[in-house]
Amino acid sequence: MGVVFQFVYWNFHFLGADFSIPLPMNVIFCLVGALVGTLVGVLPGVGTVATIAMLLPITFGLPPVGALIMLAGIYYGAQYGGSTTSVLVNIPGEATSVITCLDGHQMARQGRAGAALAIAAIGSFFAGCVATVLVAALGTPLTSIALLFGPAEYFSLMVLGLIFAVVLAKGSVLKAVAMVVTGLLLSMVGSDLETGAGRMTFDFAELADGIGFTNIAMGVFGFAEIIRNLEMPAENRDIVSKKVTGLMPTRKDLIDSAGAIARGTILGSILGILPGGGAVIASFAAYTFEKKIAKDPSRFGRGAIEGVAAPESANNAAAQTSFIPLLTLGIPPNAVMALMVGAMTIHGIVPGPQVMTKQPDLFWGMIASMWIGNLMLVIINLPLVGVWVSLLRVPYRLLYPSIIVFCCIGVYSINNAPTDVVLAALFGIIGYWLIKHDFEPAPLLLGFVLGPLMEENLRRAMLIARGDATVFFTRPISAVLLSIAMVLLVVAALPKIRRRRDEVFVE
Amino acid sequence: MSEGGSSSQQRAGLSFSIRNPRDFWGGVALIALAIFALWASRDLPGQRGFAFGPGTAPRLFATLLAGLGAAVAFVGLVTDGPPIEKYKLRGPAFVVFAILLFAGMIRGASFSLLGLPIVIPSFGLIPSTFCAFMLSIMGSTEMRWVESLIAAVVMTFFCVILFVHLLGLPFQLMPRFWG
Repeated sequence: MGVVFQFVYWNFHFLGADFSIPLPMNVIFCLVGALVGTLVGVLPGVGTVATIAMLLPITFGLPPVGALIMLAGIYYGAQYGGSTTSVLVNIPGEATSVITCLDGHQMARQGRAGAALAIAAIGSFFAGCVATVLVAALGTPLTSIALLFGPAEYFSLMVLGLIFAVVLAKGSVLKAVAMVVTGLLLSMVGSDLETGAGRMTFDFAELADGIGFTNIAMGVFGFAEIIRNLEMPAENRDIVSKKVTGLMPTRKDLIDSAGAIARGTILGSILGILPGGGAVIASFAAYTFEKKIAKDPSRFGRGAIEGVAAPESANNAAAQTSFIPLLTLGIPPNAVMALMVGAMTIHGIVPGPQVMTKQPDLFWGMIASMWIGNLMLVIINLPLVGVWVSLLRVPYRLLYPSIIVFCCIGVYSINNAPTDVVLAALFGIIGYWLIKHDFEPAPLLLGFVLGPLMEENLRRAMLIARGDATVFFTRPISAVLLSIAMVLLVVAALPKIRRRRDEVFVE
Repeated sequence: MSEGGSSSQQRAGLSFSIRNPRDFWGGVALIALAIFALWASRDLPGQRGFAFGPGTAPRLFATLLAGLGAAVAFVGLVTDGPPIEKYKLRGPAFVVFAILLFAGMIRGASFSLLGLPIVIPSFGLIPSTFCAFMLSIMGSTEMRWVESLIAAVVMTFFCVILFVHLLGLPFQLMPRFWG
């Protein structure tokens, strides 16, 4: 863990002079990440995935460990930023904080925005601490399981992961599967790994390395969301004009929410490990659970502090534990983790069990930075609430062009390639079209990231089995994984379950 | 893909047999994409012996996508759903053109459009950022000139500080012909 607190001499050239300062760089990366993440995350209509996609390019210049630590900071910051907007303006910055709007904004209307935000931060911090320990504890045993896996098992595991993601996402299961396959197909563009043959590149040199991951992410999440937001009428953005006073929650608030925080943490930790919309589903589940066990359920939706504490703890715990499948098996369980894989690949790190043995610095650095990231959130967010509020007063008509040019420079800076910017614009249009037709872009991105891995393992498994496709059902682990996937898919498609699933998202 | 969307608007209005146009035309577009992928990977060698060729996986996924697209379209025929939302032109058009303008200006470009050779000189970061900001802000119906110009200058300045000075990225700042 020493790597996190390492002091590094920072030599830089700024405004014509040379400076050299010893700094705990990784702590600073984490702090900056959490700060910038919150800054972008509070912007209405910019979700976690969009935030990370937009900020990805600024981490490319850093050393790998620093870059990933910063990304982790950005992730937590973005999530917390989403909660801030939910409470203050009733616009969830992202899906995981939709549920926080219900009671959080009511609390803000009663002049208790400070208490709501503080409880959200405290709950998140507690959940983060517990989940960090969990990640550290489960990392080693899960990694040893991963070593038993051959190509066939890996392929089946990825199928299972994708199915999980589809089942837990909102909307039509069929359309989500279609999006996954579209993502897989898009990932085939570019040179073939084994033979080097250009696939579907139409002899464009720019496509030889495949479609850039950031281009797709920035397009379908960043640009498409902006285009979408431009259509919304302006009056949707009502801002709490009351001054945020009384930051600290009262004793009673703390006692009331302690149980909710604990239950939210447990639920979130478990649901986060499962692939799929981990954090989203966790916040909904925690809220529903609190409402079920409450003595007086009618308080919910009218500013019950448990209604903020539980989902906020749950989504943070889930955000953390969703690193487990990524770090141990190398399989991203959701779109945010898919972005992390993209970032790792750009830094030349192949996520998976070997990360822990070959790059222990990175593994433990990430885990330590998770805890620090959570601490940073408490430290920076409580004093800065006022700043976020004033940021929300900047009219959207000035914000969105800033986001656009920021994204343009970001995409361009990765390869110094203007064609990347053009591709991102193209995917922005495609993303807009997808929204109009109720297709979720997240499964597409997940499919795109897993595509090359899936193909490689499929090819290897088939080669080892001498072309016998039944290998996926005759090897026991693989057969179990695939049958779980099948059962899940069938169950999710049953009308009764579907209705219940829709209810969860409507509430 | 966007063509599938715009044509669906007109036809969905005329035809009353399509009960869920969002799903139906979405599925049709996916089938079209799958067929396009099959066509694009037509000359890639396929399976040889036990080994997959480069063309095997793309064709596998494209076929799967065609099937799924057909299923989505079929669902669109047998279930009821909301009509396709109207496509706005102003916002998306300005945003997309702003992005393309940035792409064209930042390093310059030369291409031929309808047989006409077009050469854009390399403008560099500062003019590109400023122009892209101004063009994209026109996509909003609430645009005000003075405020926008100030915001564009501030944002350009901020981007130069962040990307060039703090992150040390090697950007050309001003146009080449500037001297």
